[in-house]
Amino acid sequence: MKGVQYYFERDLKRWIRSKRAVFASLVMPAAWLIFVGLALPIRFTNNYLDFITPGILVMTMLFASMQGGTLLIFDKILGFLNKFLALPVPRESILFGKILFITFRGLLQSTVILGMAVLLGVKINYFATIPLTYLVLFIFGILFSAIATTIALLVDDYETYAAINSMASMPLFFTSSALMPYEVMPHWLRIIASLNPVSYAIDTVRTLFSGTFLLNGITVLIAMSLVVLMISVYVFRRATV
Amino acid sequence: MSVKTYELTKYFNKLCAVDHINLEIGNESFGLLGPNGAGKTTTVLILTTLLKPGTGDAYVCGYDVVKEAKKVRNVISYVPQDMAVDIKLTGRENVLLFAKLYGVADRKKKVDEVLELMGLSERADDRVNSYSGGMRRRLELAQALVHEPQVLFLDEPTLGLDVSARRKMWEHISSLKKKGVTIFITTHYMDEADKFCDRVAIIDRGKIVAMDSPAKLKNSIGKDVITASVSGEFKGLNIEGITFLGREIDNIKFTAESGSEALPLLSEALSRQGLKVHSLSVREPSLDDVFLQKVGTQEEQGSFDDYKFRTLLRRRK
Repeated sequence: MKGVQYYFERDLKRWIRSKRAVFASLVMPAAWLIFVGLALPIRFTNNYLDFITPGILVMTMLFASMQGGTLLIFDKILGFLNKFLALPVPRESILFGKILFITFRGLLQSTVILGMAVLLGVKINYFATIPLTYLVLFIFGILFSAIATTIALLVDDYETYAAINSMASMPLFFTSSALMPYEVMPHWLRIIASLNPVSYAIDTVRTLFSGTFLLNGITVLIAMSLVVLMISVYVFRRATV
Repeated sequence: MSVKTYELTKYFNKLCAVDHINLEIGNESFGLLGPNGAGKTTTVLILTTLLKPGTGDAYVCGYDVVKEAKKVRNVISYVPQDMAVDIKLTGRENVLLFAKLYGVADRKKKVDEVLELMGLSERADDRVNSYSGGMRRRLELAQALVHEPQVLFLDEPTLGLDVSARRKMWEHISSLKKKGVTIFITTHYMDEADKFCDRVAIIDRGKIVAMDSPAKLKNSIGKDVITASVSGEFKGLNIEGITFLGREIDNIKFTAESGSEALPLLSEALSRQGLKVHSLSVREPSLDDVFLQKVGTQEEQGSFDDYKFRTLLRRRK
């Protein structure tokens, strides 16, 4: 357990010290929130900002998680991974430290976005909404950072990783329920969106904002996370011996 | 026995990277020499539990590198050739991270101690991006030493360093040997291995072709080495007491028991073949000559690692 903490601290320190990266990581979700949430002339719902905020929060988490795989790629390319693997501390700590850090970083970014949304007029009516939203985002973050680190273990160079990342993230976002309610989607999109794990997180957060709790969504997310974590550990063990 | 291997072999698909290697290394500084792609790094990766051997066995401090990998990791330190230190962290933080991961007791004191030992105390609280290549290397040594390993594996420790940084690095490595750490080094700088290693093994295409102390290896090829710089085609020659050693472009090398007596004979024989002799020189044999005799000149093997190359370039800033 201690090892996980030490690896986590290492990544945290390195990230905090790159101020420009910290700032830059907030620009895109903020831009989505402002330009799409406020300025888009097409409106799928009455209060579109209220509607889109859960989508942007989950998107922040999704992109942060998928981006996080690059941390492991660079540890691999630059020789850090080999140095760490030769240490007596349990090797899986490296993996869990990464997944936790990527998720934590995503949560920090989401917090800033949530703060912005509130400033722009999104109302949070129930006290329990906030901790439960964080819980959903956390599980969702674990799911996707485990996916990202698994991909990072399987590919050898940054370019391939970046290509896979952009190939996966954008479609995942656009085929989710982030931007429009299921009712206005074309039939084919509705099918895809209702299968998309990103939608599970968005729908769960969205119902939290309106005061109800979808147990289904969170159960599915937890189950998926556990499966992906197991795959991730399996791939890690295979890649490192 | 610090390191022992028995018929250690590793294939990558059809390429045999390590070919039935037998090593017995006591408490000494041991150099594994060879050209790029000869199997040096593969051997080190197996010994440091980072790669599974194909067949054969390997033990470090008596522990099996496969079955008792964790125990092996407890007694070794490994510094790969990549120069991987976190440039956004300070030197002290870099070492502290390893002290924590190794579970070192009284880590603050120990970290100070190794930083001092590597001559980094003054700069310990600066971020590593302001460190020179030599300092980064020494920082890696400090990281490796923080848990007092019994065996230290250094893969190309002086790669990419300038002359003075290199000398300093070797001074530090030598001082560790005096403290009783077994040191296993891979390098392709023969002169450095000659000066600083107790014993060396020359590896070529996965096979050990020679293993002994540098002095004995050099003695084994003859007393003097004569280098003839010529132009023209060399057809070989047969003079008693003079042995052809090898050819490196326009330099032909011979060994002889007495260089000064061999010089006139050689000069005459080479001229008679129609070669134009530009110069002749006599010197004591070096490990390079041993290498030339055992392995011959060779093309660079293995695929060019362009990531490593770019990584190195990136760090040259």
